[in-house]
Amino acid sequence: MNKYIVIATVAFSAMAAGCGADSNPGRSYMPDMTYSRAYETYASTADLEKEGVFYNRKPVPGTVARGEDAEFAFNLPHDSVGYAQSAVLKNPLDSAGAKMDMKEAERLYLVNCGICHGAKLDGNGPLFNGGDGPYTAAPKNFMAADMKALPAGTMFYSVTYGKGQMGSYASQLSPKQRWEIITFIKSKQGGGAAASGAATDSTKAAGAAVAADATAKK
Amino acid sequence: MTISKYIINRFFLIILTLFTLSRFNSIAAQDADGKQLFLSKCASCHAPDMKTNSTGPALFGVESQWEDKGKLHEWIRNNQKLIASGYPKAVEVSKLTSSTMQTFPDLTDPQIDAILKYIDDKGSGILDAGKNGNTNGPATGGSDSSQHPLLYGIITLILALAALILIFVNKNLRKISDDTEGKKSPEAVPFLQNKIYLATAAILLFIIGGYFTTKAMINMNRQKNYEPRQPIFYSHKVHAGINQINCLYCHGNAWESKTAAVPSVNVCMNCHKTIQKYNGPELKDKYGNPVDGTAEIAKLYEYAGFNPQNPDAWDPNKAKPIDWVKIHNLPDHVYFNHSQHVRVGNVQCQTCHGEITQMDEVHQFAELSMGWCVNCHRQTKVNFNVDSTSGNQFYSIYEKFHNDIKSGKMDSVTVKDIGGLECQKCHY
Repeated sequence: MNKYIVIATVAFSAMAAGCGADSNPGRSYMPDMTYSRAYETYASTADLEKEGVFYNRKPVPGTVARGEDAEFAFNLPHDSVGYAQSAVLKNPLDSAGAKMDMKEAERLYLVNCGICHGAKLDGNGPLFNGGDGPYTAAPKNFMAADMKALPAGTMFYSVTYGKGQMGSYASQLSPKQRWEIITFIKSKQGGGAAASGAATDSTKAAGAAVAADATAKK
Repeated sequence: MTISKYIINRFFLIILTLFTLSRFNSIAAQDADGKQLFLSKCASCHAPDMKTNSTGPALFGVESQWEDKGKLHEWIRNNQKLIASGYPKAVEVSKLTSSTMQTFPDLTDPQIDAILKYIDDKGSGILDAGKNGNTNGPATGGSDSSQHPLLYGIITLILALAALILIFVNKNLRKISDDTEGKKSPEAVPFLQNKIYLATAAILLFIIGGYFTTKAMINMNRQKNYEPRQPIFYSHKVHAGINQINCLYCHGNAWESKTAAVPSVNVCMNCHKTIQKYNGPELKDKYGNPVDGTAEIAKLYEYAGFNPQNPDAWDPNKAKPIDWVKIHNLPDHVYFNHSQHVRVGNVQCQTCHGEITQMDEVHQFAELSMGWCVNCHRQTKVNFNVDSTSGNQFYSIYEKFHNDIKSGKMDSVTVKDIGGLECQKCHY
């Protein structure tokens, strides 16, 4: 009899030791304390959807996120008219009272933009790597003359909606973070606020002209 | 026959390589300008391999498609003007994509010719043939040197059995020699009734069984090395390792929230709208089966509803979420916050997740047991340099500790000292 108990113990422990490794998540002592009864982040919401609760829908147009200042609200449409209008958009962080953490802006740039546009803003990040990287479209070189002349508002439009091969970063960066990155790029491009102000002036007329042109076409 | 064929083949190959190499060198000198111009002016919209459609159409063979070379130059300088003039080829080309081409009024005729020549050379593969000749012989090999604990176990068992047999043989031989010498030996007890054997076996079984049982009980609900099969073979090694994408690019929420965020499909598509083929080193799953990277990217397109033939028509709103399998599961009664560790504590991702940049498919690296958490909280030093900008200004409120550090009573402050071991910090 004793023998059987010993054999059973060994067999059971060998089996239990096999659990919890590799492709099996294993078992737990108290499942109701381990697995959340409430909906967890990124858990499936299919059950809720059946009841008509849509958890993953896009917010209504014009929604301002909680904790987000209204001055960062951006409501230009995603079309050629919106693109043209964006040229005259003012960077809310350029105003005198705005607080701006340049170190945080640099971090955001390096995390989100540097991979393509390069840590030196030269349009040659590790993904492109002079045409040898996996990314086949050349990212814009922020140090080139055309990018230095690009108004901050147009850059904001492109980051929000995407441009060419670049995707929209609206899901990864809040409007404030987008403006911070643009302020960082503009400051690195040299001349600081003065140069960007001049560029905005010269392109303002062009932007207005394009806008008029686009509306005329409509 | 076969040998001569082999030699001829080899000879031909060498000649070909030499030819392309010499050709490449001469081209390289000429075309540096064309390549430079192409990469700075055209490559944002036209794929540099000249064969895939990007924002603009693939450019290989563009020269032969335009009858009038002068008109092609005109198109490149100012395509809007040419379309407006009603030139039929220009109107046809303008309908190829939804986006309009930029104008390049500053390009001179020799510059445009250099670009066109680069397009032709690159597209026909002359440049790459030279390149392949230069960097031939990719490093292959590395013998399969995996250890097999099972094999060692079997060998040990066989050796133990052999030893046991030898002991019995020895015993029997002694008995025979004793018998012949006329010595009296004690009556042999059958093996299974020998109390010493039985007692030893029972004690051994108790110790070994107890060890494994305890271990299994402790490890219950721990998932170290858990490596489930994911819906797409996503290699962290390729993305975070080889291509150096920052962890926070996809898992940006780790900086500002409790969860580290599983990126939504549009984040994948930021790059994979353009990167449609996998050209990196060969991929293998954990069983050693080869994985086709391009086919895995195609799976992503399936979820995203993206058609590589018609990229303009893609609507990100119609993407379906990918059902990634969660690997790191903390029980519901444990609170863990990523931003608290990554941003405030400056803990590297790799501290808890292991060498992610070396893992193809991710497995759970840490035990995620309470002992593991507590141990780290006991050992990790908090950056108390509130006077410099590197330290967290919040810690300036711990006046006593600052005084103790100044007076030399403490040399450093650990997470434990600021409440890192209190139950309700993680369980509430």
